[in-house]
Amino acid sequence: MVSTRSGASVSSRLTAVRSVAVYVGQRARHDGLFLFGLLVALTVLFLALFGELLAPYDPREATANVGMPPPPLKDWPQLAYRALTGQLDAAPHWFGTDFYGLDVFSRVISAPRTDVSIALGGALVSLLLGTGLGLVAGFYRNWATGLLVRASDVLQSFPVFITAMVLVALSGRHTGNIVLALCLVYTPIFLRLTRAEVMGQARHGYVEAARAAGVRPWIIAWRHVLPNSLVPALIQLSVTIGFAIILTAGLSFVGAGVQPPTPEWGLMISQGAGDLNYGWWWPSVFPGLAISITVLGFAALGHVLEEAFR
Amino acid sequence: MRLYRTALVVVVLAACLLAGRATAERALLVLSEGVPASLDVDGPAGNHDPSQTGFLNIIEPLVDYVVGGVNDDGVQLYDFTRFAPRLAESWHYDPDTLTWTLTLRRDVKGCNGATFDADDVLYSFARAKSLSGVAPVGWFLGNVASIDGFTKALLQNTQQARAARELGDEIQKLDAYTVTIRQSAPNKLFLPALTIYGLGIYDQQTMQAHATAADPWSHGYAGSVNAPSFGPWCVERWRKEEVFAVKANPDYYRGTPYFDRVIMRAVPQSANRVGILRTGKAQFVEGLSPKEYAFLERSSGIKVSGAYLNGSLILLANWKSPPLDDPRVREALAYATPYADLVRGAYFGAAKQWHGLIPSEYPGYVRPAATYRYDPERARALLAEAGYPNGRGLEQFAEAFKLSYALDRENTLGPVATQLRTALRRVGFPVQLDPLPAVQLADRQLVKKDLPLSLYDGLTPIGVDVAYALLLSFITPPAGLNNMTNFSDPVVDEMFDKALVEPDPALRHEYLASAQEVLARRLAFLPLAEFEVRWATAPDLEGLTLHPTQSVPWYPLRLGQGAP
Amino acid sequence: MWRYVLLRLGVAVLQLAALAVVVFFLIRLLPADPVARLVGLNASPEAYAQSERALGLDRPLIQQFAAYLGLSAAAPGLLQGELGRSWVTGEPVAAELGRALPLTIEVVSLALLASLLIAIPVGLVSAAKPKGGVDRAAFVWGLFAGAQPDYWWGLLFILLFAFTLGLAPAPLGRVDPLLVPPDSITGLILMDSLLQGRFDVFLSALHYLALPVLTMVFTVSGAIVKMVRQNTARALQSEYVLYARACGLPERRVARYALRAALTPTLTLIGIFFSVLLSAAVTVERVFSLNGVGQYSVRSILDFDYPAIQGAVLAVAMVALLVYLLVDIVHALLDPRLRG
Repeated sequence: MVSTRSGASVSSRLTAVRSVAVYVGQRARHDGLFLFGLLVALTVLFLALFGELLAPYDPREATANVGMPPPPLKDWPQLAYRALTGQLDAAPHWFGTDFYGLDVFSRVISAPRTDVSIALGGALVSLLLGTGLGLVAGFYRNWATGLLVRASDVLQSFPVFITAMVLVALSGRHTGNIVLALCLVYTPIFLRLTRAEVMGQARHGYVEAARAAGVRPWIIAWRHVLPNSLVPALIQLSVTIGFAIILTAGLSFVGAGVQPPTPEWGLMISQGAGDLNYGWWWPSVFPGLAISITVLGFAALGHVLEEAFR
Repeated sequence: MRLYRTALVVVVLAACLLAGRATAERALLVLSEGVPASLDVDGPAGNHDPSQTGFLNIIEPLVDYVVGGVNDDGVQLYDFTRFAPRLAESWHYDPDTLTWTLTLRRDVKGCNGATFDADDVLYSFARAKSLSGVAPVGWFLGNVASIDGFTKALLQNTQQARAARELGDEIQKLDAYTVTIRQSAPNKLFLPALTIYGLGIYDQQTMQAHATAADPWSHGYAGSVNAPSFGPWCVERWRKEEVFAVKANPDYYRGTPYFDRVIMRAVPQSANRVGILRTGKAQFVEGLSPKEYAFLERSSGIKVSGAYLNGSLILLANWKSPPLDDPRVREALAYATPYADLVRGAYFGAAKQWHGLIPSEYPGYVRPAATYRYDPERARALLAEAGYPNGRGLEQFAEAFKLSYALDRENTLGPVATQLRTALRRVGFPVQLDPLPAVQLADRQLVKKDLPLSLYDGLTPIGVDVAYALLLSFITPPAGLNNMTNFSDPVVDEMFDKALVEPDPALRHEYLASAQEVLARRLAFLPLAEFEVRWATAPDLEGLTLHPTQSVPWYPLRLGQGAP
Repeated sequence: MWRYVLLRLGVAVLQLAALAVVVFFLIRLLPADPVARLVGLNASPEAYAQSERALGLDRPLIQQFAAYLGLSAAAPGLLQGELGRSWVTGEPVAAELGRALPLTIEVVSLALLASLLIAIPVGLVSAAKPKGGVDRAAFVWGLFAGAQPDYWWGLLFILLFAFTLGLAPAPLGRVDPLLVPPDSITGLILMDSLLQGRFDVFLSALHYLALPVLTMVFTVSGAIVKMVRQNTARALQSEYVLYARACGLPERRVARYALRAALTPTLTLIGIFFSVLLSAAVTVERVFSLNGVGQYSVRSILDFDYPAIQGAVLAVAMVALLVYLLVDIVHALLDPRLRG
């Protein structure tokens, strides 16, 4: 009896995966928004893995050119040709150099490794923790889980940025600590979402039926309630990654983020912010665009997922 | 009817005149990164630049330096070998009794109408000695100047020490306008110490009117309401982190100031200060980064001026952090530094390489025999000689090569640190950057003294004297209070002790010169560059003076001929 | 009803108390020693010890906590409504917050008000006419501006509106620095200037607050539009609307019922977005050099100014909780089901 049920569940999951894959393929062909989101996410992931290898300059090492503007757009084809055929002594500074002497292009494409890994890390850990705790809090409703929910309410009611700043300043400006801060900020959201969904599921007949059949509560929770309650959390994940990128960069912006000269978009915006006023737009505009587009891409993906699962 | 019309004309005329007067008020808008956090010299703001501007302009000293010349930018420079009378009209020193007799100026009126006399001087010194504030700056200066009784013993937390914090007979009032101050040893730093705001004179009458039983020395009042003194400016409006407005003291003894009002406004971001200056609303902007001055130099309608005095950039390499205690590693660092690139790339030319460890503008500076230039090959050779060919073996000292600097100095020090990091890594030093919040940096630089490697551009010996600069940074602790690298050299200590009590100027100079040679040869810290202290102003603003605090006295400021 | 309010109030007070305790002990783990900031140039061990005593940091942690709460006889503490003195400025933290907090509340409230004024009509229209022009525009807007870094857009707005077009003033604070601000009554400069008839200050403050408010509106209005649209669409699809329509009630009247049902959940948005904007204030205030509680927090956190951090955290939390509380009470008044 048990084996039959789990077999059925595996095959139904496989069918689900297959249908999702088919759906993704169809959507990507017809839906520009989805295609855009997918492209952005894939590009950013690709750059997170290989961006630093592709960079023409070391993104942390100063060149002798300080504050050099990018070449005019009309020169780009010719420059690209000459760079590819090896006619140039040094690679062009496609996006110019900032006032530290760093190559902006190399930094922009190397930054996803920092930004995306912190954001992904923070979002995924929050997802795991939040859904886990949410499942427990939704399934077993007693004083301990009540306290847990209250505690997460306090955390959530509090402006996220200040919490994150105190935490990072408290524990030092290291990547791990920023991830930790993100988790503290985002776990309550997943917890709340999952708990609400679990409580909704618990009212369904199948839970009662399983209980009546004598199935152990944690098996019901793990095998049946959890998979059915994951959807809102998964939709939330994409949006959270976007917000986590903004928050990570924001921490660097106010001086509580990663150490310079780590290539990181928020740090670059912060370092180039003042330069905007003097007409030196390139140190901050390129990383700003990069964040804008990335976050927009994840938002588009989130939107499409939301539509698909509703 | 006629009468009415006449009356009307008179009224209108009067109104016009009044309106004209109102618009003719001369106001100066100063933009800075902050405004004074406190006007209590023994308060928590001793190291805070905007607060120093407050002290300098509000609290009148007994003695000041004479303004000597004017540089190409029109900046007035002090002659640090000559002293000018301020609240003390004249002074006399008796070497046998080690006693200074100060004759005080008469008919000096403060902002609240109080008249200055010997009691104000006694009050101010008694306040300094009371150690009642959070940071005893006044006591420190008294101690540096060897004023009798201002000893380290006072700091102990014993009944006896607390009793000794009352003013004794070392400072006496002979009559209402004569005061004597006795030293415990001959010490040339007496007059320089009196020029510093920490020994400035408060208006006793007003201060005591705001004293409470819990706060008998009015620290709360001076810390956030007013610092009553006898200076050219009276505090009018003061909102912390926002605005500090002063109006001219009409009774000021050197003459009423040119400006009727000075408004100092906190605009934390330097780019915003530039933006406002360019709209023409502000006349004076300070604390910009080198690239911003470089930009403003090329824009019309704005004047950038500056001067060399004690602006310096140094690399602090700790003597207690191996392998930085190895002379060859220190020399390798010195030869691996691209001085010309830093001057060009980080200071846009408004700096020069610094040879020696005493500001080259200070009287008594000597250019030492040991100087360094950018020579990466030599740096590599020295590293190999020290046992780290191409930096191999240095990775075990990763902590020692974390290069720190103050987070809030990012605009200026960030580019220096990034360029230095690149150059040092090329030679084989595994340098990482580690900007720290100002408090944490100060804690580790000044108190724990465990920071291995840091960039610093705030070393400004306010006492303009080689001996004062030595005492601050290079003398073996505990005497060397601000010795951030744990440097210790018996020759330097000995030369300092001799110079302090040496009456013959030529001999004193000789002692201080040989100390400077040792500092440069051993690289007590690594001197990188001396930079111009600069300001951006309206083109017709004149009378800028470079003070050793790097703050600008507002009193001599005026608008020039071209003024509307 | 009163029972509900009292219960909520009690919970909020408990939450604040928990926060106060947590923050106190948490920041004492900071990896730096704030005494150094104060002793500066004369940092001899004696002077250091002297400053440490002056700040009370030489006492055991538990005694410091008692002093913070106001249990020791020496000075009033939290229980007496005192937040202590800032170690950097020497001023009472409560007084400093009294200046910083109103500015933030003013900017955040203005931004929220403006966002709602834009978002509610747009959300209603786009829900009423799905796939219409407004709906499509609102969708694109919500997607684009739904998640964008405010600090980056603030900078772009300064560049565009202040320095290029000259429409807005340079980011100089909340009012022209050459104007003498009115006396502080409420601390809200728009209100104070009106109360004292200072229309020059009022106009100048409006002008100076325009860009920061625009930045906040830009970054939150998209999300608010989206939520209002969802709520309205849900209401329009609900059974009672179907029933009302089936009964042949005029469309106008149906719309009115739907509107009421759609706007009640929108109330909760006020609480959520107030908190979101309080958080955004940290970066926006930095961009526009506004000395609100966000800047105050950044400064005190980076300076390790313990009393100031404690005060700022408590003040911000209190404002957020208070807004939540008010929203919940109003919500309960409108929707009796919630009072149970």
